[in-house]
Amino acid sequence: MNQTMPILPVEAYVDTEWFEREQRLIFSKTWRFAGLAEDISEPGQYLSVQAGLNNLFIVMGRDHRLRAFHNICRHRGTQLLRAEGKGRKAITCPYHDWTYDLEGRLISVPQQEKEFPDLDTSCLGLLPASVDLWRGMLFVHPDPDADSIMQWFGDVEPYLGPHRPEELVEYADGAGQEEIRANWKIVVENYIDAYHLAHLHSGTLAMYDHSRIESGFVGPHFAFYEPLAPHYAKNLEANAPYPLIDHVPADKLGAFVPMLFPGLGLSETESAWSIFHVVPLAPDRTRVVLRTKVMNVSEWQFAKQEWRSAGFWSTQIRGKYEGHGDDDPMASGDFMQEDIYACEQQQKSLRSPYFSVGATARHGEAAVRDFQRLVAQWVEGAP
Amino acid sequence: MGRGGAVKPFALRVTEVVPETAEAKSFVFDVPPELRQAFAWRPGQHVTVVVEMDGESLRRPYTVSASPHAGEPLRITVKRQRRGRVSGYLHDHVQGGSVLRVMPPFGGFCLDPEPTSHRTLYLFAAGSGITPLYAMLRSVLAAEPYSTVHLLYGNRNAKSMIFRQQLDALLQTHDEHLSVTHVLSSPSWWSATEAWRGRIDADAVRRFIDTFPPYAQDAQYFICGPGSMNVDVRRALMDLDVPPERIHAEFFGAAPPDDDTSVVAVASQLTVQLDGVRHDVAAPEGKTVLQALQQAEVDIPYACQSGLCGACKGRLRRGTVHQRAPLALEKTEIEQGWVLTCQSVATSPQLWLDIEA
Repeated sequence: MNQTMPILPVEAYVDTEWFEREQRLIFSKTWRFAGLAEDISEPGQYLSVQAGLNNLFIVMGRDHRLRAFHNICRHRGTQLLRAEGKGRKAITCPYHDWTYDLEGRLISVPQQEKEFPDLDTSCLGLLPASVDLWRGMLFVHPDPDADSIMQWFGDVEPYLGPHRPEELVEYADGAGQEEIRANWKIVVENYIDAYHLAHLHSGTLAMYDHSRIESGFVGPHFAFYEPLAPHYAKNLEANAPYPLIDHVPADKLGAFVPMLFPGLGLSETESAWSIFHVVPLAPDRTRVVLRTKVMNVSEWQFAKQEWRSAGFWSTQIRGKYEGHGDDDPMASGDFMQEDIYACEQQQKSLRSPYFSVGATARHGEAAVRDFQRLVAQWVEGAP
Repeated sequence: MGRGGAVKPFALRVTEVVPETAEAKSFVFDVPPELRQAFAWRPGQHVTVVVEMDGESLRRPYTVSASPHAGEPLRITVKRQRRGRVSGYLHDHVQGGSVLRVMPPFGGFCLDPEPTSHRTLYLFAAGSGITPLYAMLRSVLAAEPYSTVHLLYGNRNAKSMIFRQQLDALLQTHDEHLSVTHVLSSPSWWSATEAWRGRIDADAVRRFIDTFPPYAQDAQYFICGPGSMNVDVRRALMDLDVPPERIHAEFFGAAPPDDDTSVVAVASQLTVQLDGVRHDVAAPEGKTVLQALQQAEVDIPYACQSGLCGACKGRLRRGTVHQRAPLALEKTEIEQGWVLTCQSVATSPQLWLDIEA
């Protein structure tokens, strides 16, 4: 196998045509992350989410069951619902007030007798989609007859962390977004690249032991685990930045950092559980949505843990380089800023006719090659 | 799979009689290898037991309470009915070693587990209505590992609960995938059983769904109990926006009173295609289709003769009938022309029916 041949052509990372094909053939055909279970907890609550080319919305009925529909009025296609809301018993289109019930049935058409005398409303219900809950996360799929979510995630589930996200609480300061000036695949490849951990993040991720990584693809999903570094593990109770998650057994302490196809990263560690949701915006722009959950204990416990561990972290974390200014990501001591910087620096070169891939690490970048092969398979007719 | 009529009963030996409660016993059958195929059953189905008594051939359908997915042998659980001749006979005269005549399994009230399915199953049982639901929940726990079962189980008191020990044992081994909520209408003062007081009514249904909201979003609802409970639960679920396609029900115990004498059968010429063989029968006025066919000694399938079990199901191709209480049929089935011959009276001079045994 020739390791210097790129598996995906440069066009895959810069062309609009490739981007559209991925939206159609990958993002419209897979289970898409839509939020955390708590985001819709009351009947009548709803939220909308983009899944590839499809805008879908999820609404909860009085039976506490979620329904998902394509967010399209059957009249002339107007998008029905905005981002999120509550208290809905029916869904009314803003344009001409066509109204649907929570099962998607068309229940009201203004001036129906005069304007639509032959209308068969039973054929004009909202188009259903699929929705399900898995590990405390909401997922949608544009196909109402999609394969069960357990068929999609069942095989990789045993390789994920033992964490029970439903029992954790969201940490408000852990929520955020980043907009990265790079193709979504550059971002995913960075997430699954093991070779860079000891280098780009030499000052920011040294609390995990990169020499004992266990990783690999299970179907389309990438599973990854590395244990705690010995110097961190030695005094974990004192040095963890947040209270330890009580249901992680000792032999599973460390970082589980899977990347679920096509773009949902998880980070499941000894003291935090986070999602890293990759949202492609344009060939050279990607949004990453971040949310974090932690142990459900008091503010006081968190404050105490912060004080206890402060000394350890002040010696542990350092920027990779001396700073060029306050905003220098390479001096920030923040591993996410370091990753964003590396991704953007890579994307910049793609337009140069002198760009090429010289070689890829046999082991540490195997996942990157596997991921590119996977994308090539999903986008038909790709090299 | 036979439906208890045009297929002959087979002699099956009872290997064991297990007392479940003071009023209920289970009868375990030995099915010889050559009959395993004929007697393969789906969770929720019935078998018909045929008993000769006082010169009459009596037949009754009983649900198979065992799960084919848990490797269990064929077993029925029978509650003694107050004036029940067959249930009385089974309780008083059948023991290990006895031979009973049994017809192969039938019935459409089924739950078939799928290994990759991710579902939430809500089961509503009252009294002996637990029998099909117990077979269903054993099957889900054995063969559908990603799904969860929530059982709401109504009884008079703790002592009348059938399968109490078995359910407690399953709660130990499958506690992540099973919940059991008891509802007792007349609990004894000394009862230590944790239970809701009262009956399974609309309030109980609402409280149950609120307490156990679905995790897996593909939720299915199975109801089995006497007439009024069935109706109440179905209505309560539909009031909570549960779509009717997700609700599956079977009647057990007392049917709603059948005082529908509004329509009298007209005399009619019946043509029945039974497994491809045509029978022409003149049906006298005032008789149900089943009665007319039985009188003409046509060997059509039937069992309970009360509209509850569905064994006598047929498809009406021509003509019209009035059905008194076709409780074993779903509304969509009736719309598609399915009828229960035991409940149908002819309202046109000619009828054409297709029946498959």
